[in-house]
Amino acid sequence: MAEVRRKSGKPLQVNPHKLSQPMGATLAFLGVDRCMPLMHGAQGCASFTKVMFTRHFCEPIALQTTAVTDVTAVLDGGDYSILESIKTIREKVTPELIGVHTTGLTETKGDDIRGVAGKIDVPVVYVGTADFKGGLESGWTLTGQALIDQLTARCDRIDAQKMVLVPHVSMQPIEVEKIRELIEAFGFKVVAVPDLSSSLDNHLGEKQASLSSGGVTVTELEQLADAAFIVTLGASVKGVGATLQTKNPAIRHRHFNHVSGLIGTDALVAWLLEVSGRDALPAAVERWRKRLQDAMLDSHFSIGQTRFLLVAEPDHLAAMAACLREVGGKVTLAVATVDSPILADIEADQVIVGDLEDAENMSDAYDMIIGNFHTEALAHRLGKTAVMRGFPNYEEIGNALKNDVLYEGGAYFLFEIANAAERMRQEQVHREREQIRLQRIADSNLDSRPLPNHA
Amino acid sequence: MSSKPKIKELLVESACEHSTDKKGSCNAPKPGATTGGCALDGAQIALFPFADAAHLVHGPMSCVGGAWETRLTPTSWSGRDLTQTGFATDINTNDVVFGGEKKLAAAIDHIIAQYAPEAVFVYSTCVTALTGDDLDAACKQGTERHGIPCVPVHAPGFVGAKNLGSRIAGEAVLRHLIGTKEPEESTPFDINLIGEHNNTGELWRYRHLLEELGIRVLSTFSGDGRISEIRTAHRAKLNVIVCAKSLVSMTRKMQERYGIPWISCSFYGMTDTSNSILAIAEALDDADLIERTRRLVAREEARLEEKLIPYREIFSGKKAVLNTGGNKSWSIASALQDLGIEVVATSVRKSTEEDKAKARKYLGENAVLMTEPASQQAKVIDETGAHLLLAGGRSLYTAIKKRIAFTDVNQEKKKSYGGYDGLLVLAEDLKNSLQNPVFELVDRKAPWQK
Repeated sequence: MAEVRRKSGKPLQVNPHKLSQPMGATLAFLGVDRCMPLMHGAQGCASFTKVMFTRHFCEPIALQTTAVTDVTAVLDGGDYSILESIKTIREKVTPELIGVHTTGLTETKGDDIRGVAGKIDVPVVYVGTADFKGGLESGWTLTGQALIDQLTARCDRIDAQKMVLVPHVSMQPIEVEKIRELIEAFGFKVVAVPDLSSSLDNHLGEKQASLSSGGVTVTELEQLADAAFIVTLGASVKGVGATLQTKNPAIRHRHFNHVSGLIGTDALVAWLLEVSGRDALPAAVERWRKRLQDAMLDSHFSIGQTRFLLVAEPDHLAAMAACLREVGGKVTLAVATVDSPILADIEADQVIVGDLEDAENMSDAYDMIIGNFHTEALAHRLGKTAVMRGFPNYEEIGNALKNDVLYEGGAYFLFEIANAAERMRQEQVHREREQIRLQRIADSNLDSRPLPNHA
Repeated sequence: MSSKPKIKELLVESACEHSTDKKGSCNAPKPGATTGGCALDGAQIALFPFADAAHLVHGPMSCVGGAWETRLTPTSWSGRDLTQTGFATDINTNDVVFGGEKKLAAAIDHIIAQYAPEAVFVYSTCVTALTGDDLDAACKQGTERHGIPCVPVHAPGFVGAKNLGSRIAGEAVLRHLIGTKEPEESTPFDINLIGEHNNTGELWRYRHLLEELGIRVLSTFSGDGRISEIRTAHRAKLNVIVCAKSLVSMTRKMQERYGIPWISCSFYGMTDTSNSILAIAEALDDADLIERTRRLVAREEARLEEKLIPYREIFSGKKAVLNTGGNKSWSIASALQDLGIEVVATSVRKSTEEDKAKARKYLGENAVLMTEPASQQAKVIDETGAHLLLAGGRSLYTAIKKRIAFTDVNQEKKKSYGGYDGLLVLAEDLKNSLQNPVFELVDRKAPWQK
């Protein structure tokens, strides 16, 4: 479908939007209740990550570091710093789970995390997430797989009403909740893995978070394998289905690349109808479908004349492009953080793995930008407009409650984009008219000068 | 010879008061109980404000992905603002196994060709320090190829915390830039501002006052700074450290090498701003300048006092608890005192010994110096009957629980509270906090709750 360029060919990233694997792992562990994510690296790896998510979610973020130093980097195989960290953490709090994830530093020096984990007497899940490989999506997915692989007990029973939901990393907390509610409306019990919808959803908690508060519980993770279905949303998390099936081959796996827009949501709803055995939609779902249909008609004029640059993680690109494309939006350029099998399926003229310098060099191709907060400065330099989506967004508040998925979120998304595009065009018209007006004033001043005397 | 700084030397700074005390404040981080950034973070914070230089991080995306374009350090540089431009080699498995030096050289070439910076700072990171990429050679060759300085900054995160990174940055500038160029002209009142990052434009709150007095800011390290100016910094008559103990090593070495004396200043609040401007004039040791400075300070204070009148009544009898780090433990306290607010407690958790002494001096004998503010502040609020908590976002819940007003004072703030005019901004924000019903309302019980 799209023309895809998978390698940048440059020796560096300029104005990068790519985020690292350990960052994705941290976020996944934050979707487990009463968890202490423990990043195994120098203190800065955790600090940068903590600052980023704190600012994006406007919430305190639970995250600790093994604080590897130049001395322990050489002398320690991970035993000392990890075991010492866990001892220290337990002096203050009692986590249900400690989520050990590595970084480039500790992977380069070759720590044996599996070996160390064997010496720990508290529930611990470990995952290798070197930051010179992969990115945010793979860190999230590897952690989701590690949670299931290391915690979930084998099972040979099936609870016909139980469904496991695996969102991709770019889904904001409210989006996970909306999808859960949709599935529940068809009579299922839902366990999301990981589940940010009750941990980082901007709720006023009891106290400042020394551990994650909310998310899937360790008990739920242990008892996951009696689910009748696992639904994976986003190409990056597709593999989690097979991971859970190793615990119980009777679990049925259904995958969707996204659940955005009319067609994307229809696919999920149609499947839910089928597997629930119902013959009618819940009334609210039916109503929201009609509202999205109307929103599509109301927004098509504005979006249909707009050329978009999308900057995001691969799964997020696929979802947004599909939604815009349904109302005639021209996604002329999509810039992905990392390579992914989904890139070829993104409904865009051109898809590249790259940075914002690449986007800037191709600025003739688009009018409007959708991407993380860095695209605001880009838009400013180019005299274009940007709408903020994706990690991180330091410019706006309320990120956890931005809903773009399903019929309902799709309607709001289209309205927001159409309004922003319209405002941008009006500003352009005003600027052009003002230029014409000033030119005419200048011209008429010239005209009113006394004519030279042609004798 | 390698340009890697001797970390031990940097950790034991003879000009630091606590160095006589063996305990010191520069300890290794404790696994499982460490917050705050690493040396790389500190080095970036120190150098990023040079907007005419490119800042290339040789490492993976954790080190720069969420970290660029995060600090508001405005510049008047007319070219492209490289402070807000992120550069990273984004090393992959291949670079780890076979080395990333070729990639680094190509990255330097790309930056110089595309962005024409005045210098390139190249930062090592944990991974590339461990794999042993030769940063010095890459920078030396880059400098030779392009004729503009490429400066290696050896601050991988595992060597220590932000504070150390800041020193390492100073070390790199001292070694590779300062003294490499002569200024076009010299004046008797040339000064360097060291450690002033122009965060949220704080430098711009007082720079014009110095200029009005004929004091020339020859260079800054590094707020609104220029590479061409820092290269001439060795010709200054005085180094002024602005709220940054970490750069004492740098000024001490400049004193030894170039005979430049140094003083330490703060531009938070009216009293400290006045004292600082006067201290600069006195250090420059010119009777006429000192006299003119006294007049300017009196004029500015009178102007400010008049504007503060409406706030005096609101703040009268109000007590505040301050929970912030380092020198802010006393510098913001001083600003609050200028507004007539009593500061009943401040955090000294991350402060140096000298900062602690200062905090005690500013706040008086009865005030609480909190060493464990997270667990102490709620109790302190109860005991003192404080009306206001100034702290980072994490403490918001404490304020809500105690139903007192809250103001966020972390460094990412978007407004400047520095200089004379900054005090007015602070006053307005505090007034808005104290008068905002949200802190009383938000945690109220719902009508159906008993």
